[in-house]
Amino acid sequence: MILCSLRNIVFGYEHEPVIRNVSVDIHAGEFIAVSGPNGAAKTTLLKLMLGLMKPWSGTIQYSSEFTKGSVAYVPQQASSFNPGFPSKVIELVRSGCYPELGLFRRFIKEQHALVEDTLRAVGLWELRSRKIGELSGGQKQRACIARAMVQQPDLLVLDEPVTGMDTASRIRFYEWMRSIVKTQGKTVIMVTHGLDEAREYLDRVIYLEGKEENYNAPV
Amino acid sequence: MLQYEFMQRAFLAGWLISLIAPILGVYLVLRRQSLMSDTLSHVSMAGVALGSVLHGNPALYGFLFAILGGITIEQLRRTYKTYSEVPVAIIMTSGLALAMVLMSLKTSLNKSFSSYLFGSIVAVSPSQLIIIAAVTVIGLIFFLVLRRPLYSLTFEEETAAVSGVRVKLLSFAFAVMTGMIVAAAMPIVGVLLVSSLIVLPSAFALRFAGGFISACVLAIVTGMTGMFSGLAASYYTNTPPGGTIALILVMILLCGIGVQRVLRLAKKRRTGKAQTILHQQKHIQLREGVFK
Repeated sequence: MILCSLRNIVFGYEHEPVIRNVSVDIHAGEFIAVSGPNGAAKTTLLKLMLGLMKPWSGTIQYSSEFTKGSVAYVPQQASSFNPGFPSKVIELVRSGCYPELGLFRRFIKEQHALVEDTLRAVGLWELRSRKIGELSGGQKQRACIARAMVQQPDLLVLDEPVTGMDTASRIRFYEWMRSIVKTQGKTVIMVTHGLDEAREYLDRVIYLEGKEENYNAPV
Repeated sequence: MLQYEFMQRAFLAGWLISLIAPILGVYLVLRRQSLMSDTLSHVSMAGVALGSVLHGNPALYGFLFAILGGITIEQLRRTYKTYSEVPVAIIMTSGLALAMVLMSLKTSLNKSFSSYLFGSIVAVSPSQLIIIAAVTVIGLIFFLVLRRPLYSLTFEEETAAVSGVRVKLLSFAFAVMTGMIVAAAMPIVGVLLVSSLIVLPSAFALRFAGGFISACVLAIVTGMTGMFSGLAASYYTNTPPGGTIALILVMILLCGIGVQRVLRLAKKRRTGKAQTILHQQKHIQLREGVFK
């Protein structure tokens, strides 16, 4: 099933387009990496896909099962948020349940268990009562990923998620993503520069070179 | 002091404002919009001046101008995404310039304006008290009902938008709420110091609070302490309430920073001493090992 289909997308910031006539389909249950040199518009492509930016021309179609709440996004600067933000790690991760809870519904037992499991999966359960500003860059990044995972999205979009993580954490992260794609049928798209390390876990690589390309052929 | 009706009104108004203004402050500081309250108070002053020139209700005009100013800043913030402080400078200058020009058209205004600029205990009329009460109730409902989307919005706008928060609508509603609270707080603390009641308690609370809710509660307690002690001191020393409240809040903030520094230093020394003892023990063990 195609979750999201981009056709002949053109987009730029000033007068010069940075994305030229790009077409790509995102299938359900894929683990995809978006890679390319600096300035190749990797983040821009993600933002266009997520509807945070509008293309100059071309179309973006979403599957009818694709709703706003079923997508979670962890931006590139996720770990550089306001260090004084007054939240404990667990409070931040719990906020991932807000889209499902709406304005008034209270947390249920399953959601508490999900938060605990996710925090354990990213290795932050012991630090759950720490203020998020007190965490290291890599730990903050993991807290943001945990928050996105708690949302239980069908599509998880991550912009350079392993920045600040050590090698062991990066490998554990790729394995974790691979397992949620395989066992839960989730779709994961991530921007990365570490293709060599991640390649064995991926289904597809979208390599942007800043020119007119069609990315639907398997890589 | 409380046998006078105007003092009862001032304390009641102060209590209401210090319930809501510090919560707004927490969000404004975290969204890096601390100067927004200051800007909107200047815009509100232009509204007060226009109301007087047109023989309308100055307080109502001030109120409407503050809301309009909030909406304009939010719109400009979207235009100047990279330089988010530019809209604040534009609106603050425009508001102040308009107020000065309008005041010059009606010279009799200059005298009554001092109470708007610096605040006045007697400035809280029964009708203003009703406005302040209404704004406080609306504000508390706003922050309570929308606490979850506001938390997401304050943490990160793009993530919030992707997870389904209507970022643009919520940001405009927040700007309107800011305008309303600023206009409601103006009679007590005055145009020039309205931001002190909004920003200083939250600046204090954010240094000490562990979580988001505790930050809001601590900001309210700090705001109320400053408000009540400031109003009482203002009554006994015959000083403008705005300045007195602001000075007390600054003192609370400075004392807080001082106490925090001392505590950190003491902790550092304790840790340092413990490490030195450990180091010495290791050294002795090492020497013993060598001699053996």
